[in-house]
Amino acid sequence: MEKKLSELKPGERGVIVSIQALTRSHGHHRRRGWGFRRRLEDMGLTPGTRVMIVKSAPFHGPIEIHVRGSRLAIGRGMAERILVSVEN
Amino acid sequence: MGKSVIFNHLTGLHQHIGNWPGKTVERAEGTLHFKGRMIDVIDLPGIYSLSTFSIEELISREYIAVENPDLVINVVDASVLERNLFFTLQLMELETPIVVALNQMDMAKKKGIKIDCKKMEEILGVPVVPTVATSRAGIYELMQTSVDAVEKGVGTPTKIRYGKEVEVRIEKLSKMVSKLQLPYPARWAAIKLLEEDEQIEGRIGQLDPKTVSAARKLAEEIERIHGHSCSTVITSERYEIAGGIAREVQEIAPLRKLPMRERLHALTTHKILGYPVMVAVILSVFFAIFSFGDYTSQLLGTVFENVCSVYEGLFGTGILATLVWGGVIEGLIAGITIALPYLIPFYLVLYFLEDSGYLSRIAFLMDNLMHKIGLHGKAFIPAMLGFGCNVPACLGCRIMETERERFLATFVVTLVPCAATSVIILGLVGTYVGFEWALLLYVIDLLIIFVLGRIAFKVLPGEPTGLIMEMHDYRTPHLKTVLAQTWFRLKEFVIMAFPLIIAGSFIIKLVDVLGLLEPIADVLSPVTVVWLGLPAITGITLIFGVLRKELTLLMLATLFGTADFASVAGFGSVQMIVFTLVAMLYIPCVSTIAALVKEQGWRRALFITVFEIGFAIFVGGIAYRLLMLTGM
Repeated sequence: MEKKLSELKPGERGVIVSIQALTRSHGHHRRRGWGFRRRLEDMGLTPGTRVMIVKSAPFHGPIEIHVRGSRLAIGRGMAERILVSVEN
Repeated sequence: MGKSVIFNHLTGLHQHIGNWPGKTVERAEGTLHFKGRMIDVIDLPGIYSLSTFSIEELISREYIAVENPDLVINVVDASVLERNLFFTLQLMELETPIVVALNQMDMAKKKGIKIDCKKMEEILGVPVVPTVATSRAGIYELMQTSVDAVEKGVGTPTKIRYGKEVEVRIEKLSKMVSKLQLPYPARWAAIKLLEEDEQIEGRIGQLDPKTVSAARKLAEEIERIHGHSCSTVITSERYEIAGGIAREVQEIAPLRKLPMRERLHALTTHKILGYPVMVAVILSVFFAIFSFGDYTSQLLGTVFENVCSVYEGLFGTGILATLVWGGVIEGLIAGITIALPYLIPFYLVLYFLEDSGYLSRIAFLMDNLMHKIGLHGKAFIPAMLGFGCNVPACLGCRIMETERERFLATFVVTLVPCAATSVIILGLVGTYVGFEWALLLYVIDLLIIFVLGRIAFKVLPGEPTGLIMEMHDYRTPHLKTVLAQTWFRLKEFVIMAFPLIIAGSFIIKLVDVLGLLEPIADVLSPVTVVWLGLPAITGITLIFGVLRKELTLLMLATLFGTADFASVAGFGSVQMIVFTLVAMLYIPCVSTIAALVKEQGWRRALFITVFEIGFAIFVGGIAYRLLMLTGM
C-alpha cells in the first residue's frame, strides 16, 4: 500500500517509491523542484530506501525517521512529497 | 563536530578565521608544524554531498577541483558510516588524494559498531586512520599518514563502478569531455553532466554545447530504462555502493539496554515533555548570558568612568580632548562594554549546544512555528537570542544552510526587540503610559516580524527549503574546541566590528562638537515634527540611538532636563508610544550593523538598515494618526 511518508505512524516502516517535485511554481524552469529532490536524495532518501518513522513533532511539526543507520528530521511539507510503500 | 576538533588539533593556535571571498561562508585556515614541515590547513565547510544544493558544497568542490590541494582529509563519522561514505565516494570521484580519518570510533563502539579499518582501506584504495578526536587518539598517526601520502604518494583510489546502463554512458560521455580543457577530471565532469549539475552544464556549455545536449540525451535514456530521473539513479546507486561497503567493513552487535543518550533524545524530542525541557534550557541560557553580560558590562562601565575622570584630569575637556574621548575611546568602550560581555558567553553556549546536539532537537520542536514566518526550525535559536542582543543573533544566523535562508533569518532577527529596546519600551511606555501599551508594542513587533518575514519569504528569489537535518547522537562537547572556536570568532568580530563602531561614534561626536546637532534636528523636523508628531529634539536622540538604543532614552532625559517624562509638555502618551515604536524599529544599532556587514556584506547590510529606517518612519506616522483618531 502506498502512502505519503507524513501519513505513516510511529513505528511503521516503508520503502521509498518516489519523491514528487514541488508543484508550487518557482520560475518556469524545467528544473522546478530539482534542488528540493536533490537535497532529499543527497541525504539518502532515494527510491528503494527503507525508512522507519520514529515520531512526529506535535502541531503538524517535522517527523523523525531512521534511514541508512542515521536519524533524520524532515519538515512536514517535505515528508508530504515522499511516497512510500508501507511494509507490514 | 569531529571536523572542527581535528582542525583544532592540527592547527592549535595558529588559526585565522575569515570568509570565503564574496561569500557569507566562514573560512578557517591554520598552520600545522610537523617534523620540520610547515603545512597549510584549510577547514572546508561541513557538507553531506558535492552537488550544488548549498553554497558550501560549491565552495568545497571548487576549492578541491580548482585549487588542487596536496591532500584532502576526509573526516568520517564512524558511527554513521553509510551516510559518510556516500561523501567519501564523491571525493574519490574528484580524483583528489585523500586520507580518511575514521573519527568517533568511541561512539561507534558505544553503539555496538565494530569497523575493520584494514578492509576499508583495501576496498576504498585510500589510507584510513581510526581516530577519537576528542581524546586526541590517532591524531599523530593522521598527521604522519597525511604527510606520507603527500610525499610518497598514495595508490589510486578504487574506481567507483555504477550499474551497467549508467557506466556505459559515463564512459561514452567522458571521452567527449576529455577533449575539452577543464579543471575537473573527465569522468567526474561526465557524471555531473548526467546528474544535470547546473554549474558544470553551464561551464561545459560555453566550451561545447554539443556535449551538454549529448549528455541530456544519454540522461534521458537512463531515465527511460530506470523510470527515475538520471540524477536519482546515480545518487541511488552511489548510496547502494556506500551501503555495500559499510555492510562489508562493519559488524553491528545489538545493544542490550537503551543507552542514556537515547533516553535523553527521547525526552528532549518528546511531544509534551520536550517543550518544558526546552523552555527551561533556553531560560537558563538567557539567564546565564545576560546575568554574566549585565554584571560584566556594568563592572567595565564603572572602570571606564574612573578612567574617564582620570583622562579629563590629564587632558582637560577641550574640544580635541573631548573629540578623542567621546569619539574614539567611547566608541571603543561601547564595543567592549556592550558587545563583548554578551558575545563571550553567547559563543560558548552556542557552540556547546550545537556540539552536544541539542540545537538540532530545538529545531525539531520549533520547526512548525518558524515555518509561519517562512523559516524553518533552525532559525529559532538566533531569533530567540535577538531578544537579548541582535549582534550574536545576526552572527548565529550562520547555522542556516542556504544563502537565502541566512539572509531571511538575519533580516527577521534585526527586527526582534533586543534588551536595550526593551529598556525603552518598558522604561517609557511601560512606566508612563501603561503596561498594557508596552505589551501591545511587543505584540505589534511580533506581528510586524510575522508579516515582513512572510513578504520577504515570497519576494526573495530561490527555492524555499524545508527542514532536513541529521540529528546526531548526543555527545559531550570537546571543551578545548569550544573555547578555541569562541576565541577565534571573538577575535574576528573585534577586528571587523570595532573600527566601524569607533568610526560611527566619532562621526556623531564630531557632529555634536561642531554644534550641528540642532541644525540636523531642524532638517529632520519635517519627519519628526510633521509626520511623526514628535518634539523636534527627538531627532537628536534618535541619532544617538544608532550607537546604542538605550541612549535614545538617556539622551531624551538629558535634553528635556528631567527624567520624569510625564512632566514634559508636548510629550504625552501618543508621543511616547510613537517615539518608542520608531526607536524599536528604526535602525539596527551600530554594533548590529557591523555584525550585518560582517555576515552579509555591505550591500545587504545597507539595504536592511535603510529599509528599517524607512519602515519605522512609515509605521510611526501611521500610528500617530491612528492614535490621534482614538482621541488619546
